[in-house]
Amino acid sequence: MNFELTEEQQLIGQSARDFGKQYLEPIAVELDQKGEFPKKVVQALAKHDFLGLLLPDDVGGAAAGFVSYVEVIEDLSRYSAAVASIVNNHTIAAYAIQQWGTADQKKEYLPGMAKGEILGGFAIFEHGPTPGVGTDALVAKKQDVGYVLNGKKAFVRNAGEAGVYVVFATTDPALGAKALTAFLVKSDAIGVKVGEKLETMGLKGCPVADITFENVVIPETAVLGAVNGGAAISAKALAVASVAEAAQTVGIGQAAVEHAAAYAKQRVQFGKPVATLQAIQTLLAEVATDCHLARLGLRNAALLIEEGKPFEVEAAMIKSFLARLGSKMLIDTCQVEGGFGYSETMPLPRLFRDIAGTNLLDAPGDFPEKIIAASIA
Amino acid sequence: MSILSPEQKAVQQAAKEFVAKIIIPNAAKFDKSGEFPMLLLEASKLSNIFAMAVPKEYGGLNYDALTQALVLEEWGYGCAGMGTTLAASVLSMDSVLIAGTDEQKRRYFKPMLNAEIGSFGLTEPGAGSDAAAGTATAVKKGDEYILNGTKCWITNGGFATVYVIFANTDPAAGVKGISAFILERGLPGFTIAALSVGLAQRALDTCVAHVHTCFPGKPFPGQTLQFKLAEMQIMVEAARDCLHQAMRLRDEGDPYSKESAICKTFCSDVAMQVSATAVSLMGSYGYTSELGKYMRDSKIMQIYEGTNQIQRLVISRAVLAHPPAPAPSTAQKAGK
Repeated sequence: MNFELTEEQQLIGQSARDFGKQYLEPIAVELDQKGEFPKKVVQALAKHDFLGLLLPDDVGGAAAGFVSYVEVIEDLSRYSAAVASIVNNHTIAAYAIQQWGTADQKKEYLPGMAKGEILGGFAIFEHGPTPGVGTDALVAKKQDVGYVLNGKKAFVRNAGEAGVYVVFATTDPALGAKALTAFLVKSDAIGVKVGEKLETMGLKGCPVADITFENVVIPETAVLGAVNGGAAISAKALAVASVAEAAQTVGIGQAAVEHAAAYAKQRVQFGKPVATLQAIQTLLAEVATDCHLARLGLRNAALLIEEGKPFEVEAAMIKSFLARLGSKMLIDTCQVEGGFGYSETMPLPRLFRDIAGTNLLDAPGDFPEKIIAASIA
Repeated sequence: MSILSPEQKAVQQAAKEFVAKIIIPNAAKFDKSGEFPMLLLEASKLSNIFAMAVPKEYGGLNYDALTQALVLEEWGYGCAGMGTTLAASVLSMDSVLIAGTDEQKRRYFKPMLNAEIGSFGLTEPGAGSDAAAGTATAVKKGDEYILNGTKCWITNGGFATVYVIFANTDPAAGVKGISAFILERGLPGFTIAALSVGLAQRALDTCVAHVHTCFPGKPFPGQTLQFKLAEMQIMVEAARDCLHQAMRLRDEGDPYSKESAICKTFCSDVAMQVSATAVSLMGSYGYTSELGKYMRDSKIMQIYEGTNQIQRLVISRAVLAHPPAPAPSTAQKAGK
């Protein structure tokens, strides 16, 4: 494989960095402090074609490949991982409609999603004794009118801002995952209730909330993919999402290590810049190495996705790698900046809180290592 | 825990109760507002806890080092922020204890008996890890000293009654004049170690409670999760043992500066690792819970009171100071 980005991929990355510098850098701190959804930034993202990156030309998308996409996410994350998280959740919802949607569904949602008029969200997790990708907290009952949804989904990102949610519900609680079905649910459907916005450690500005469904009637044409075929969709969408999320981690890590290196060069202790101390060099070098290896790993997974090849093992590997080392990147770079760097007037505390929200193991008992171990011949 | 004396156990129990009643219910509120928790001082008047290190002859509780560590662990369990208020106060009084005259002790311990607090001013904008680079000066004029300079990141600053401030009385002598202090400054690391152990235990407890909620009455899923919990428990237990051992050395009057540096480093690294693992394991539950605070609080434990890098310098010097005796050759071992 070629490890160099193509000229086009580099250009897209550059445009994301330019966008980040112009639109995200000035608002990142306020966004973190207030945690309000950045409507204007989302409009600007749409205007610069960052909300339809994976969508084809005919619906107004940029038709960029997945490698370009993760490059954009990494570059946006350098400036605001919260905004990158909004883009990711929206894009993966659009990706799911593009992958599994009917011609009518694509026509209904994708042009608006590419333009940023409709934001996407993913309602997949559930509370309760079987945490993670749930199977019985939301039930879709087949009736003459279509389906009636009752129950609750947990930790939905872009909640309250999305116009359409990809919602996973079971058509038969007794069958569990075998009856999991994906639905496209409009946010203004009667009975869709977005709960209170949850207080998160970081990634503030990307809203997270539970969504309750009370007798939500949806037509049969809102089924995404096959009835009872939701488990395969959720598995694949989550794997794709984990690669995109890894790009957030790498972007945050890269921003942190660059900031810490610059700090170390100007912070004088013991009569010289601390960057000249071996202990500091080692800390920076290890973070830079982890970051670089993670980037190669996720680009590899992204290329497989782009080429339509099996990518699940590589996606699990990058998730496993970053679940171990993601937060460590910030734990170590913060150490370089010491007491000064711990102050909230400095950027690393925000990055520290943000990176902890990437690569979460949202299904205890279901670890990426399982997929990897099973793949070793 | 049977190795603790009945007195130590009683103090530990009282600290647990105080923390459960006063600290835990208020921790989130003050974390959010960032205000100084005055209620802490009010509530502490009864227990006299800010005078826990003050000797009996000065009216204090005269706790030995291990007992102080037990109290600080509980405060760290409740809230590392409020725990730091106690730790910084203990630290400042430690300085008076080590180097103060009888009159100074009488005068400066007194506020602690009334739940007022102390503060320790060493760091300057240009003098963090390199404390010797401090430029604050104390110039003698008649029988008084005139202090000039800026200290920063001073815990309890603005709320303390007594400040122990480090300043140079002879800038010409500079580094040499205060180098003795720097050698000693590994000593107070135990307060941070104790807070860290409490913090790590809290993160682990939160994680375990979460697992029980997720899998009520069911076998826990997967060895991956089980072993991660085991790993966290191993680290917390080892950190506590490491701390208690250093405290026993101190209470016996044995040298313990290397051990103090080791336990400050190890305990704070453990707090960081355990809290980060807990957030990751609990997924979105962790990210939307108080675990985020434990992770943020753990980070400063690795930084203040001598960064863990400075502690490693102290430890490596101690390791290298005594070359090991040459190992006997194989032939000697075999008795030939």
